[in-house]
Amino acid sequence: MAAFQAKIYELFRSAAAGKSPFWIGAGVAGAAFAVAVLSIVLPRGGDREASLGAWDRVASVLQHRRCLNCHQSNEPLQGDNPRRHTPRVVRGHDNQGAPGMRCSSCHGEQRNNEASRVPGAAHWKFAPRSMSWAGLSAGALCRTIKDPAKNGGRSPRALVKHVEDDSLIHWAWAPGGERKPIPIPHYVFVEFVDEWVRTGAHCPD
Amino acid sequence: MKLNVNGRERDLTGVPEHMPLLWALRDKLDLTGTKFGCGRAQCGACTVHINGEAARSCSVSVRDAVGKRIVTIEAVSGRVADAVRSAWQKLDVVQCGYCQSGQIMTAITLLSSNKKPSDTDIDAAMDGNICRCGTYVRIRKAIHEAAKSLA
Repeated sequence: MAAFQAKIYELFRSAAAGKSPFWIGAGVAGAAFAVAVLSIVLPRGGDREASLGAWDRVASVLQHRRCLNCHQSNEPLQGDNPRRHTPRVVRGHDNQGAPGMRCSSCHGEQRNNEASRVPGAAHWKFAPRSMSWAGLSAGALCRTIKDPAKNGGRSPRALVKHVEDDSLIHWAWAPGGERKPIPIPHYVFVEFVDEWVRTGAHCPD
Repeated sequence: MKLNVNGRERDLTGVPEHMPLLWALRDKLDLTGTKFGCGRAQCGACTVHINGEAARSCSVSVRDAVGKRIVTIEAVSGRVADAVRSAWQKLDVVQCGYCQSGQIMTAITLLSSNKKPSDTDIDAAMDGNICRCGTYVRIRKAIHEAAKSLA
C-alpha cells in the first residue's frame, strides 16, 4: 500500500514539475485509476464493522452443535445437549476411526439412515486436530478459520467455495432424525461468509 | 433390485428400498446368523462386512447396499477368519452366543488391518459390540490368541 502511495505522489510531483497540461492530466487520470483499482482489491478499513457483523453471523453457524460436535480435539460428541459419542469412537490415523470401528461402520456415505436414525453424508469423518474448535471464542475461531496452516491451506476466497460445496457442511442443514438443523438457510450462510471475506475478513478480539 | 451377498447376486425384487439390510438378510435371504439387538447401531449384533469393513446392517438400507460386496457370518472366510474361529473355539468364548456373530465379524476386521492389536486397539475396535453375558475378557484373550496364530 505504501509503495503505491509513493508512486502516486511521484506521479503528481513530476506532473506538477513538468508544468505541461498533458502530463498534469495524465497524472490525475493515473492517480484516479490507481485509487479505483485499489479500492476494489484492497481491504477497506471502513468496512471493519461490516466484516465483524458478518463474522458474528458466520460464527453462530460454526458454533452450532451440528458443526461443533465433530470439530473437537479427541472424540466427537453427539446430539443437541451434547453427550459423549456412543459407542465410544476414536480419531484413528486418518480421522476416520480405528481398525474395526471406522466412521463408515455406522455412518452411511450416501445419506442419513432413518430406520436407525444414524446420520450420514459423503466423506463422514472427524475434523482434523488443527480444526478443533472446542472452547474457542468467536475471535479465536475466526483466527483459526483464516489460518492456512490450520484450515487445510485455504485462502479466504477458497473458504467461500468450501462452505458452498462441502458435503458435510451441507449435511448440517439436513441432519435427519430429531437433530436440529442450522436455523438460517445455507445460501444465506454462504452469503455471510462471502461478505465477511469481501469486507476484509476481520476478526473480533 | 440385486444385492451381492456372500459372493452371489441375490434378487430382492419387491423389497422396499428403505428396508434395513439386516431384515433383507434375515427375512428375505434366510441368513439368520446376523442378529437384531437394538436397530440403532448401538449394540453391534447386526455386524456384517461391506466391502471388507465391519458395518452395522441395521443402519444400511438395501438401496444403499446395492453394488457393494456383502459378507455375513455364514460365509466369512480366509486366514484371519479361520484364526478367529479357532481361537474362539479353543478358548470357549461363547456363552449364550447372541452377540457373537457381531463380535466375530468385528474381530476379523480388526485383525485384517492390525495383526498385533494392543488392548487399547481392541477396546477401540470392539467397543461397539455389546455382550450381555459379559464375555469381554474371553473375547479379548481370543483376539490375542488369534493374533499369535497369525504371526
